[in-house]
Amino acid sequence: MKLNSLRGYKDIVGTINHVPTISISRKIIPYLFLLPALSGLFFFRFFPIIVNFYGSLYRSSYSSQGETSIFTGLSNYIDLFYDPTFWNSLKVTFKLNLFLNPIQITMALIIALLIRKNTLFNRISRTLFLLPLGIAIAISSSIWRILLDQNYGLINGILEFLSIPRQPFLTSSNQAIWCIVLVAAWCGISYLMIFFLVGLQEIPNELYESAKIDGSNNWNSFWKITLPLLKRTILFVTVLDTSSNFLLFVPIFMLTKGGPNMSTDTLMYQNYSSAFIYSDFRRALTISSVILIILLIVVFFEFKMLGKEDQ
Amino acid sequence: MKINISEIIRIALIFLFAIFILLPLIWALASAFKSNNRIMADTIPLSWKTFIPAPFRLDAFKDLAESNFGKSILLTVFVGLLTVFLGILLNSIAAFSFAIFNFPGKNILFAIVIITFLVPFEAIAIPLYIIVRELGWLNTIYALIVPAIPNGLTILLFRQFFLGIPNDLKDAAIIDGAGWFRVYWQIYLPLAKPAAISAGLLLFFSQWKAFFWPLLATQSENLRMVQVWIAYSTTTEYSLIWNKILASSVITAIIPIILIFPLQKYFIRGISTSGLKG
Repeated sequence: MKLNSLRGYKDIVGTINHVPTISISRKIIPYLFLLPALSGLFFFRFFPIIVNFYGSLYRSSYSSQGETSIFTGLSNYIDLFYDPTFWNSLKVTFKLNLFLNPIQITMALIIALLIRKNTLFNRISRTLFLLPLGIAIAISSSIWRILLDQNYGLINGILEFLSIPRQPFLTSSNQAIWCIVLVAAWCGISYLMIFFLVGLQEIPNELYESAKIDGSNNWNSFWKITLPLLKRTILFVTVLDTSSNFLLFVPIFMLTKGGPNMSTDTLMYQNYSSAFIYSDFRRALTISSVILIILLIVVFFEFKMLGKEDQ
Repeated sequence: MKINISEIIRIALIFLFAIFILLPLIWALASAFKSNNRIMADTIPLSWKTFIPAPFRLDAFKDLAESNFGKSILLTVFVGLLTVFLGILLNSIAAFSFAIFNFPGKNILFAIVIITFLVPFEAIAIPLYIIVRELGWLNTIYALIVPAIPNGLTILLFRQFFLGIPNDLKDAAIIDGAGWFRVYWQIYLPLAKPAAISAGLLLFFSQWKAFFWPLLATQSENLRMVQVWIAYSTTTEYSLIWNKILASSVITAIIPIILIFPLQKYFIRGISTSGLKG
């Protein structure tokens, strides 16, 4: 409606041969329009990256005059290098990602494939599978904390129903990390599933139909049609999932606080505890820098892969 | 009659995944309407009572009504709406500039937008904390709102939409003597309603679900956003009052679910344009 009335408006004024004057304001206006959002982005998103690297090169010393910073170069990084706690959290972070990401991505892809076709049953299932999307990770974590309770939790209730002995879960240094994998998988699947559903919708149905005529079964169609055409989506989801799971914090904060025996002490939790439990902001900034560098490397490689796909 | 085996397997698998996804939610919903003792007693051993609240009790909700949970919800809604309003306004005008004008430095500025969009927020939370501390904003509502307003994803969403609006609309208005701000305000912004809905939902949910940043930036009890409120009540004072935790979770989860389903189309579009197509 609006578009049409505006087109009519153009017919009326379009006949007038009037050239707008280009003035100085024409040159300033683009910047003026950008100023509020871009200065905000610069100050609250870009500048922190600089503050982070810069701050990690200094050390604080406290005297009667208050806090002074001394430039110490890479010494914070060297300290980190000789710190077994740091290496433990690096190991925990990689272990978590190595198991969590493939589980999450495969499950999201399988669910999306199962409910791909647009039938009533699938539409209802889709809505149900999207439910966790409405639930914040902090809340899911507190629900799961209760579910995994050793004495009264639902999971142990189910195990006992199946005549399997109760498990300690979050209080066991062998099981806690698997509980985090389970909780994080549950929280993330719906979000990843959306991307797969969108990706699958873009594959034309005729491809499957002509494959069927040629005698191909579902299993072959999946390997020959779906997977190759979904490659871009899979790569994209992998980047997204890696960068968010690498920074996984909330389930660990809510369920285990890095324990027991530092078995769930990820880099992000180390980062938080250095700053806010031990008040060692220099160490926290140094860990953030390490996290940023690893993330940039990962994103760089993923981009190279995505770029190749485009050609 | 021919029984389709692959269809049976498909439905069985859907059922299996649905149990994994929904069982925690059904249990949480049922337990929110139980007394605290019943939650524990009903879970082990497992019975039909595990998933159905009998007797049906509203104790937990009454407890919540008496606490400052309502205040926390109001604060979060206020912070969320203000972020949506200012976020749509400031990011869309920047997007308008990127979509319409050519100017020196455009590529560099656009690169900054992309970088800030690619670096996850959690990765810069601690340096941001230091900056906000230097500004003297810790423990103020500014710390919750201002850093959330500039948003790379929102800029990208609006830019994409603005690029699709035919140029003759803008040319006609300019010939008629309209200023650029009027072109943005009266033509582009009203046409970009779908982009505004996706962006608004994303901005609102980002505040509604925010946990890490409010946890760092605010300590005072009056500034506890919902997620932080629940976290504090699960870890400290209400450590064993499960029904209260679950009741507050149910209330907090309902609002996004109510918003998502009618607006699902926009929400999915917003998420999928964020990277897949952009």
